[in-house]
Amino acid sequence: MALHTLELTLEPAAAAGPVKAPTHIGVTGSSDLEVLIQPEALDGKVAVKLVTPVTGFDPLWERVLRKFIDETSLSDTRIEINDNNATPAVVLLRLHQAFTAANAA
Amino acid sequence: MEMQESMMGRGREAIDMIVDPESFQENTVGAQSFDDPEFGPGAVVGTATLDGKTTTIIASDGNAFNEKFPVVYAGIIGMEEGYKMAQAVYASIAADAEKPLEEKRALVLIVDTPGNGPGKVEEIFGMNKATAAYQLALAEARLKGHAIIAMVIGRAISGAFLCHGLQADSIVSLDANYGTMIHVMPLTSVSRIIKKPLEVLEEISKDNAVFAAGPRFFYSLGGVGLIVDHVDGMRPAIIDRVAEVQKAKAEGKQDTLGPWGRGALGAERGGRVERPKVMALMNEEFAAVAGQYAPAR
Amino acid sequence: MSNWQNLQPRSFLEASARDRALGLVDEGSFTELAGPFDRVTSPHLELLGDAVAFDDGIVTGIGRIGKTPVFVISQEGKFIGGSVGEIGGAKMVNTIKLAIEFHDDLVAKHPDLTDEEKPVVVISFETGGVRLHEANAGLLAHAEVMDQLQKARGKVPVIAVIGSKVGGFGGMGFVAAATDAIIMSEFGRLGLTGPEVIEQEMGKEEFDASDRALVYRTTGGRHKYIMGDANFLVQDSIEAFRKQVVELAPLPVSDFEAMRRIGSPETVEKQLRLVALAAEMQPQDAVDVWAKAGNENAAGLLDVPFAEFMSTVKRLAV
Repeated sequence: MALHTLELTLEPAAAAGPVKAPTHIGVTGSSDLEVLIQPEALDGKVAVKLVTPVTGFDPLWERVLRKFIDETSLSDTRIEINDNNATPAVVLLRLHQAFTAANAA
Repeated sequence: MEMQESMMGRGREAIDMIVDPESFQENTVGAQSFDDPEFGPGAVVGTATLDGKTTTIIASDGNAFNEKFPVVYAGIIGMEEGYKMAQAVYASIAADAEKPLEEKRALVLIVDTPGNGPGKVEEIFGMNKATAAYQLALAEARLKGHAIIAMVIGRAISGAFLCHGLQADSIVSLDANYGTMIHVMPLTSVSRIIKKPLEVLEEISKDNAVFAAGPRFFYSLGGVGLIVDHVDGMRPAIIDRVAEVQKAKAEGKQDTLGPWGRGALGAERGGRVERPKVMALMNEEFAAVAGQYAPAR
Repeated sequence: MSNWQNLQPRSFLEASARDRALGLVDEGSFTELAGPFDRVTSPHLELLGDAVAFDDGIVTGIGRIGKTPVFVISQEGKFIGGSVGEIGGAKMVNTIKLAIEFHDDLVAKHPDLTDEEKPVVVISFETGGVRLHEANAGLLAHAEVMDQLQKARGKVPVIAVIGSKVGGFGGMGFVAAATDAIIMSEFGRLGLTGPEVIEQEMGKEEFDASDRALVYRTTGGRHKYIMGDANFLVQDSIEAFRKQVVELAPLPVSDFEAMRRIGSPETVEKQLRLVALAAEMQPQDAVDVWAKAGNENAAGLLDVPFAEFMSTVKRLAV
């Protein structure tokens, strides 16, 4: 029954560099999630750690995260997520909010 | 461990088992007397001697029914009860205000209460104030040097235990062989609210102290200082604890007592190990920025 | 406009715990302690397979209002109803403790310390009390908070702000009552027993928990203001709450003592006069008490506009 942890290392098709500043957004509310995003030298890759009560959707998570990284060309960045049953649409929305906030800071 | 006849609902009998024979004078604490028999009948307050020393006794009467506030029965602490208990504490403080530390009377709380008054009138008038008033009075008495010992004999449930028990310097409990209940909510209700199967919760609660019900688990969390396994053990245990608490206060070791002291005990006994870690982290982070928030001079 | 400026006109009711914490203190002055980057999450939730939060659902830190250091505790109702577990409870306890220690340090260092340079604590409540997933640890933390509130007496004023969705209930209803000054919006709710439990105890005919207006009449900001349980009633924006805190922050601690509802033999006497009134009236509804306080249009009080309410309402005096 323990929480499910998914760790992924993704590489963007075109690397545009890391986010500017470490940023936290969101609340792990019901059907929602929170995101920590921060720059880190990772040989151009993006490291993701996701903690969720939901199991069995690892390929879906990977597709959603890959879509986000392709859209942003993010590289050298660490992303950590606490999820509580968010839908893919909400996941993408929060990731983009985190990205925007981290670059505005 | 042999099962014993429960002390539930028998707060008045427990008083007689604990204090010096025939010494309990109900409805008088210091200069305060509680003359109206219909005022806060669920709360029993008075003065006794314990090992020859003047002691304030505060208990619940499980057989009382407050006719003015019909949600108050079976040991529930209602608005009148909460304020009556607070008055007994303030009267104890006032009576010994001029006395040196070692002569300040002890307070013994006999704990057998299932809850606070859960009614509409209670919410309209603010039940939360009554029980908070009692807690603040107890904390004040404790910090002013009175030794406060809670003796759990039956039900020590959630908010009612917060109110009547958890502000004590030291908490003693009868063991589970007396059917002693210490918890926030029965597991069946927890299961319904947090949406986890009862069987799973039962399995986890076998060895997870932050979650489980009963005096042994509270012991490992530091929530209960000492467990006694027979009613005959209550009186000597309380006399000992009063002496120990008074000694600690005389030595300026207030921080080893009360809710804060129970935090350290919980870490020592392995039941609450996260608490000190996050506190240490905050202390460190604050120390790094404190200068920015100090006034410019 | 900066993020802080954007926050000011926002609804307090809808605001997250972190936005409330940031917005209540001066722009750019807030330092979070044990914040999300520390990643202190609850192992007890993890064991149960439930989602965790990097701040365990509570924002703690220090900011400034003018010359006053302001220690802030802000609860996040969206995370398990703002419930208090081992870590969140410890963060709350330790914030008050740090404020008291900081006060003592400053007083020792600066004999000329002014009232407005002394720290205050602000608690933004949004909670039903104990987190059932780690109930015992949460309960013990509540007792520690009460202990710290008493230790803060005469030194560090503690201000409660209540205007978030969940309100302040359960054991945290005690804690709120035990603070020095309470600021509410009309959407804030304060009490001990949640509506569902009252319904269960008394029956649906006596108390229908799904009746929103009834719930607000019984525990809402306007009612608590009439009863004297809320010292101040403000509009639902971060800047309105902030304005009230700004007014209070520099006051001497003796002024706060005078705002208390409980915490002394004298206040207990006064509360007992209210309890005697409750016994005598046996009100069926809070409206009965509003009428008793001298409000001619008692039944309509919940519906009149805020400004009209504030200018015409009569508060209960005993």
